[in-house]
Amino acid sequence: MSDCVKTPRVATPGLRKETSDAVFALLSEKFAAVRDADAPKDFSVVVDASKVHDVIRFLRDDKACGFDMLLDIVGVDYLGFKDYEGPRFAVEYLLKNVYDPAKRIRVKAKVAEGASVPTVSDLFPIADWQEREVWDQYGIVFAGHPDLRRLLNHAEFVGHPLRKDYPAQKRQWLSTNDYLLPALEKKLESMGYRIVKRSKEVMTNDDEYLEGSIRK
Amino acid sequence: MIVVTPDGEKLNLMPLNIGPSHGATHGCLRYMTALDGENIVASVSEIGYLHRGFEKMVERGTWQQVVPYTDRLNYCSAMMNNFAYCRAVEELIGVEIPERAKVLRVIVNELSRIADHFICVAAASQDLGSTTGFFYMFDSREMTMVIWEKLTGARLTNAYGRIGGLYRDTYEGFEDDVLAVLKQVDKNLHDLHACFDRNRIFLDRTVGVGKISAKDATAWGWTGPCLRATGVASDLRKDEPYFGYETYDWNVVTGTEGDVFDRLMVRLAEAEESSKIIKQALERLKSLKGCPVNTNDPRVRVPDHEHAYQDMESLIGRFKTVLDGVRVPKGEFYQGSEVANGELGFSVVSDGSGKPWRVKVRPPCFPHYAAFDKMVEGALLADSIATLSSLNIIAGELDR
Repeated sequence: MSDCVKTPRVATPGLRKETSDAVFALLSEKFAAVRDADAPKDFSVVVDASKVHDVIRFLRDDKACGFDMLLDIVGVDYLGFKDYEGPRFAVEYLLKNVYDPAKRIRVKAKVAEGASVPTVSDLFPIADWQEREVWDQYGIVFAGHPDLRRLLNHAEFVGHPLRKDYPAQKRQWLSTNDYLLPALEKKLESMGYRIVKRSKEVMTNDDEYLEGSIRK
Repeated sequence: MIVVTPDGEKLNLMPLNIGPSHGATHGCLRYMTALDGENIVASVSEIGYLHRGFEKMVERGTWQQVVPYTDRLNYCSAMMNNFAYCRAVEELIGVEIPERAKVLRVIVNELSRIADHFICVAAASQDLGSTTGFFYMFDSREMTMVIWEKLTGARLTNAYGRIGGLYRDTYEGFEDDVLAVLKQVDKNLHDLHACFDRNRIFLDRTVGVGKISAKDATAWGWTGPCLRATGVASDLRKDEPYFGYETYDWNVVTGTEGDVFDRLMVRLAEAEESSKIIKQALERLKSLKGCPVNTNDPRVRVPDHEHAYQDMESLIGRFKTVLDGVRVPKGEFYQGSEVANGELGFSVVSDGSGKPWRVKVRPPCFPHYAAFDKMVEGALLADSIATLSSLNIIAGELDR
């Protein structure tokens, strides 16, 4: 396992600037990325939403970049933000290199309401859940995502709660448990299994939704 | 459910639901497995049973009012979350905290880390059938909790961090209490190693179970002890030092195999390293006796009651800061800190007012649990329990 053990390398401000300048030169040349004026303390770039997949793949695979970890995907809603003009949402991808702590980057894409962003779940397996969460909270669609379901909120939930126009005090009636069996069947099929007979005792049954549920 | 395998064999699989209320799914986790006998063929999991809308709630209050909410993320080591959040805001504003606050934060951080790691190992040993291990580990944790009571007034949700420093200074006799805990920690570790290191049952249940390679763990976004157990020496306290961690003498612990055994043993070894850090920090605390624990920077300072009742300017200052909130300059910022489970990151967006526009938590448990299904497929059902407890999934942090 010795190849996994890195030599100690500490992220100093000088090292950070050096690596971020080198990566930014590549990104601005290849993807017309610009520095993010909103985040002066981070190394943050803004790219076009349609290029997100290519940019993340480049950042992961290029020898000079080597961002091997997708830390987080963050959605932001700018509705009503002071002095803000532009598309309503932003999707931010936070990446870092595990072996070189000086390498951290935020890739930001502005997304208008109703527009979609290409999925990166084929590049990083963790992006599957992270994109589901952003869709759940903001309603930003990730085109090509294999299974864009709600993650944190209940399956019966209506709306996207982290949008600024969703009232925080709003209550919703959520009646029954989430059925995981369809997801399990889907997973088995993706592994090459063929379902001959479905199990019926744990299937969704309309009677189980209580009075008042939106499913009724 | 009857299925045909990719090899053309006909199988009768049993769907089995585990959780959300199950002794082994700590907090509220749920996964559903398709079982062939005792082997897991496929597994899908669901989270969100403890989703309280942290990110929506914090947008309604001021920057300071977020601190108690962060307690509810990883409630096994609440104060580490306080400090991680406060650090993110401090870095965005550009405030330097006093030396004594840094040293105290290090002590509280590391003591919390020991307690958190001990809970994980205690719960894991309980899940594996050893109540002895459980009680050995909870021994020193109880002493830590008593210190928290004296220091902060609460056992679990302490809210001890403040933007720019700490809630208050330590009490008389704090150092002796901490040293007593460290002594007990050593004893507990000795007992636990004696109990488990050559225990046939424990080794059979943990060695080679729930393995993950360094490459996979990185791609899944793992951090903290779970990543280090695969052999990657990645620790933010060394890589991107803060609170003066670079000035202490300690080592990063790594495993080799990335299995359940390594993950548990890395945690125990980290507790020893934390103990080393605390001993050095206590020495420094002596020379900093009487120094302030809160910054004097007018941008974040909240004048204390003593001054507020005597002096008009302080009263106005206190009133303004408490009601309007700390003014954080307009901008976006991400700051990750090494908490017990890995990298806890806060992405903050400020519009220049006293209220956060957006606070996004990057919980370290989230990637761990996302990879869980992949890890247990092909394993025994009992091994999935061992794997789950070794990951130390804290539902409060996972679901926010």
